[in-house]
Amino acid sequence: MRVSEMDMYSPSTVEECLYFLHEEEKSSRLLAGGTDAVVRMKDGYFRPEIWINLKRLDELRFISEAENGIHIGPLTTHTDIVKSELLQEKADVLVGASREVGAVQLQNMGTLGGNLATASPAGDMIPALYVLDAKIEISSFHDKKVVPIHEFFTGPGRTVLKQDEMITNIIIQPQGENEIGIFEKLGPRKAQSISIVNVAINLKMGENPRECLSGKIAFGSVGPTIIRSKKCERMLTLGPLDETAIQNIAGAAWKEVMPISDVRGSAKYRRSMASALLERGLHRLMQRWDER
Amino acid sequence: MKEIQLKVNGEEVSIKSPPASTLLDVLRDELDLIGAKECCGKGECGSCSVEVDGEVVCSCLMLVGQTENTNITTVEGIGQVGGMDVMQQAFVDEGATQCGYCTPGIIVSAKAFINSIDHIPTDDEVKTALGGNLCRCTGYTKIIKAVQTAARRQLAAGGAPG
Ligand SMILES: Cc1cc2nc3c(=O)[nH]c(=O)nc-3n(C[C@H](O)[C@H](O)[C@H](O)COP(=O)(O)OP(=O)(O)OC[C@H]3O[C@@H](n4cnc5c(N)ncnc54)[C@H](O)[C@@H]3O)c2cc1C
Ligand code: FES
Ligand code: FES
Repeated sequence: MRVSEMDMYSPSTVEECLYFLHEEEKSSRLLAGGTDAVVRMKDGYFRPEIWINLKRLDELRFISEAENGIHIGPLTTHTDIVKSELLQEKADVLVGASREVGAVQLQNMGTLGGNLATASPAGDMIPALYVLDAKIEISSFHDKKVVPIHEFFTGPGRTVLKQDEMITNIIIQPQGENEIGIFEKLGPRKAQSISIVNVAINLKMGENPRECLSGKIAFGSVGPTIIRSKKCERMLTLGPLDETAIQNIAGAAWKEVMPISDVRGSAKYRRSMASALLERGLHRLMQRWDER
Repeated sequence: MKEIQLKVNGEEVSIKSPPASTLLDVLRDELDLIGAKECCGKGECGSCSVEVDGEVVCSCLMLVGQTENTNITTVEGIGQVGGMDVMQQAFVDEGATQCGYCTPGIIVSAKAFINSIDHIPTDDEVKTALGGNLCRCTGYTKIIKAVQTAARRQLAAGGAPG
């Protein structure tokens, strides 16, 4: 299929979109911000007969708080996330991740739904969504289901999404008053770079100085999918998070990750950087906690 | 081929184009607006930057079918010889352009940036705002200076004209 022969369909409601996905026999693909999909079209990987343009679906661009969590529409852009006061207050780690995506242009175009569906092992939003216990709502014309984020990905670039399904909501658990989070990333340069390693951290703090009651740590880009570092998480609660404790926890990360070597870095380098990023993240978090 | 209505630099235009052509190709080939340039074609360099509905985007990654009925501003819409915008004048005055390939994209990004703030930006703020625009010639020092000069002049003249 040549680019000049591709058609485009622009539904104005989610219902219309799902009906189209269900009925249409020609090959089609959803298109949100296009920052992954259009690159792949140019590279020759994505050649649908029909692009389904989601940009008119304003009903999928929202950030709101409900009883079961904060709901974020898949068409929400990184810029929307960075500007959201609700997320700044109750999902700092997600805001931190969006701020690290590409540069201004990419943040204006790229969406949360597109980042999830692309399922890149280096996707910056994914570790942040892991530590906020995200759930993904998947809709088809006849059905709607909610899957926890760790069941959404099946491998690098692969998800449970079927041809006639789309993401219609992302639900995260808001941080309580005693929770703080951070996103740390190492890329080849500051702006516009794909992560060599990234890590999202969310901690629940206690009454005593630097007392951590529980915490979640998720690494990206150091395995086929996200790696939750269970061992490091258990170490968070062993005692106050002073500099020695932080160094010990960071040291343990070395064994938890399973990186590969590629053009962006060797496996050994990635392991070392995973430790270094975790140490820097915990250090910065504790400074912020002390100063609050 | 599809008939697509666009609003470019304040003017309604109707074009016939495959909907999966990039906005950049349509601007350059159909509308003769050759300010925005293709360099990487992959969202990395920003030489194709234009504003769509008030937000700076890479026109090399936006399919024209997606931009139907949106408001598009290119560097030509910001100012032309004889009626240059404060940002363009500052680039001339500070000598912030060499080969000029990156300049239209940088003007679009920088203009949107100073319109969104009400102070003279620090070097770091300019660097973040222009993180998506690469320049292979100038070494950026003069570009940063030009953006600060434009912001100062715009503030002195009574804020963002729009
Ligand atoms: C120069 C550059 C730098 C980048 N830097 C980063 C970075 O630092 N960090 C990072 O994480 N990513 C980065 N990216 C990748 C990309 O920008 C992000 O992943 C972005 O969030 C993708 O969103 P999108 O709306 O553009 O997706 P699209 O390209 O529109 O779509 C991506 C995929 O998701 C599918 N899709 C879209 N919406 C839905 C939905 N609602 N339901 C189901 N499927 C859907 C599409 O069919 C497609 O397969 C970069 C990309 C470029 C080009
Ligand atoms: S040509 Fe569009 S970003 Fe480089
Ligand atoms: S002036 Fe030549 S690339 Fe910027």
